[in-house]
Amino acid sequence: MDVRKAALTWLVSPVAVALLTAVAHRTGANALTAGFLYLILVLGLATGGGWQAGVVASLTATGCYNYYFLPPFGTLVIAEPANWVALFSFLTATTVASRLVVNARRQAEAADLRRREVEILYELCFSLFAASQRPGGLGEAAARTLGALGARSGMLFLDQPAPVSIIGDMGERAPVVDETALEQTRALWSLVETQTDLEKTVYIPLLVGGAFGGILVAQGAAASRKVLESAGRLLALALERERLLAEAAHLEAVQESDALKTSLLRAVSHDLRTPLTAMQLGLEGLGREVAGRPAAEAALREVAREQERLTRRIDNLLSLARLEAGVARPHPEDVAPGALFRAARESLALVLAGRPLEVRVTRDCPDLWADPSLALEIVVNLLENAARATPENGANGQDTSLELAAEADPESGTQGRVRLEVRDRGPGVPAAVKRLLLGPAGAPRGGEGSAGDSRSGGLGLRIAASLATANGGTLVLLDRPGGGSIARLTLPAVPAVLGDPA
Amino acid sequence: MTRTAPLLLVIDDDPVIRETLARELALAGFETLTARDGEEGKDLFARHDPDLVITDLAMPRADGMAVLAAVRRAGRTPVIVLSVRGEEEDKVRALDLGADDYVTKPFSLRELLARVRSHLRRSHLSTVPGTPGVSGVLRFPGLVIDPARRTVLQDDREIRLTPTELAILELLASQAGKPVTLRQIIATVWKGAPATTQDTVRVHVGSLRRKLEPDPGEPRYIGTEPWVGYRFLMEPE
Repeated sequence: MDVRKAALTWLVSPVAVALLTAVAHRTGANALTAGFLYLILVLGLATGGGWQAGVVASLTATGCYNYYFLPPFGTLVIAEPANWVALFSFLTATTVASRLVVNARRQAEAADLRRREVEILYELCFSLFAASQRPGGLGEAAARTLGALGARSGMLFLDQPAPVSIIGDMGERAPVVDETALEQTRALWSLVETQTDLEKTVYIPLLVGGAFGGILVAQGAAASRKVLESAGRLLALALERERLLAEAAHLEAVQESDALKTSLLRAVSHDLRTPLTAMQLGLEGLGREVAGRPAAEAALREVAREQERLTRRIDNLLSLARLEAGVARPHPEDVAPGALFRAARESLALVLAGRPLEVRVTRDCPDLWADPSLALEIVVNLLENAARATPENGANGQDTSLELAAEADPESGTQGRVRLEVRDRGPGVPAAVKRLLLGPAGAPRGGEGSAGDSRSGGLGLRIAASLATANGGTLVLLDRPGGGSIARLTLPAVPAVLGDPA
Repeated sequence: MTRTAPLLLVIDDDPVIRETLARELALAGFETLTARDGEEGKDLFARHDPDLVITDLAMPRADGMAVLAAVRRAGRTPVIVLSVRGEEEDKVRALDLGADDYVTKPFSLRELLARVRSHLRRSHLSTVPGTPGVSGVLRFPGLVIDPARRTVLQDDREIRLTPTELAILELLASQAGKPVTLRQIIATVWKGAPATTQDTVRVHVGSLRRKLEPDPGEPRYIGTEPWVGYRFLMEPE
């Protein structure tokens, strides 16, 4: 009990009752008036001095009331039973009323405290979220929090992104940080307090979304534990918001860059294909005009082939550019190997003209699960490469026949894959390249290419290997028994649920 | 209006392609009109009512989609769009919005002419013989589909199909030569039932192919259109 309360209880209360008694007695107040006056005085003393002052005043007043205002006067004796009831009622009323007054006052004080706490948190909330719309400024947010808590100085420790990073200290001077308290906060995820001779330091954990984000150290903070914890949560949210804002800004930049790449590739694609279309249409027109002139027809056929090859290379390079720029991912669909081979032959109609070509697809061969355009590009490149290895007007009765084959990959086990092979009877895989191994980036090592890879075939093969990798497949070059080479492409088979309906 | 030859409207913003196409189509026996952009294309379409429209997709002042919308508002005139590789979504959107076919740049004139003739034949405008019968029975070399009796005969041998497979085959065969998108198949066969996915369609087409195609190495009936859907490859008898 503090001095003020003790004085009110033991000194002021009896004196005030005595003074009131003197005044009431001198003025000749009756029992009823005196009773009300005593009641008012007791309530006043209870309000100011608390419950004990109220009780002391109540007992003193009861004694005086009996002595001076209840007959027989001047004695502490009560003659009439009715006056016993009056005295007892007076004592009860004063005691209960003083108790109620004290309770009401306490509740008012608690409500006031809560109001002030809510005000602190509201202001903090506002300053952390509404006042600042710009990313960055972690230190600023922490300083605002410390200010709202009434701390003299503080420090912010963040566990993310760096394991432990000190953002900086705020306030007049750096607080003395207790390493043990820091560790304890980090281990328990709850608020820890340390007390020195001078003042209290609190270690507030920053928790958001069930994760521990760091610790705010506040020295000399005057707020309650509840407020400190709530402020910690608000700061953690503000920091999370800062992080998300930074992430969003980064994502926006990435998206802009992707959009730029997409539109650039679109423009390049359009600008390259438009003249190629014009060339193709022009060549077909010319073909009709030079009909019947064998030399011109042959020259035109050669130009047409080169134009087709240029178109394929541009397709290849744009596909690779799209994949590498990340603006397009392979879009797998079910692809029937027979349909794929047919499309490849149609694409290479000029190159394959007059050349025997055999297609073998086993009956149990599953469909491919691959990007149809990319799968076609790969097979076209391999077929073109094989055709180059065996020129159609080859000398010495060279076998110019080609074979396309598809079957379920016998080496893939339960993991369904399809093996596609392009076979030729050319000079075979050079000794140095017995097996074309795929490098880490998916490109054939060294770029030696395969049989017949005399000019730009290496590029076609390299692109085929990259596209195969992008499709989740592999490409190897093998010697063919009896002479020639085999380009073996392995691609995923259509998932069982699609390939084998119930 | 009586014409000696079918009238084609060619819309492309590239002058070389536009003029070359016009010249080659004229040499192939068609009358042609050319437009530099979608606006001019829509205007010429309204004034001349051509038998078929060939339009680029990406163009200044009203693109190919706007032309397509205008043509579809007026009727069923066949539309072939010129698409570019890598812009498959545009192609599928055009088909879903009512385009009849597409060719991908750079395309060959032979390929385009084949498509033009096929679609003119389908719209009963050309003098080329071979118009499909109207009895409801679909007849192709070696294959007869009778939707009324729910039978499919291949070389006089009956092929047993499930109702879904038959519905898909009927749809593709009735649109023979024309690409049919997965969305169109779902809308027709499954009446757009919300749980139907594109994978569901693939499952049934895969099964249909196994029953129908005599040689998996040489699909004769059902071709895959990458990114788009399927195309019935045979022309009606």
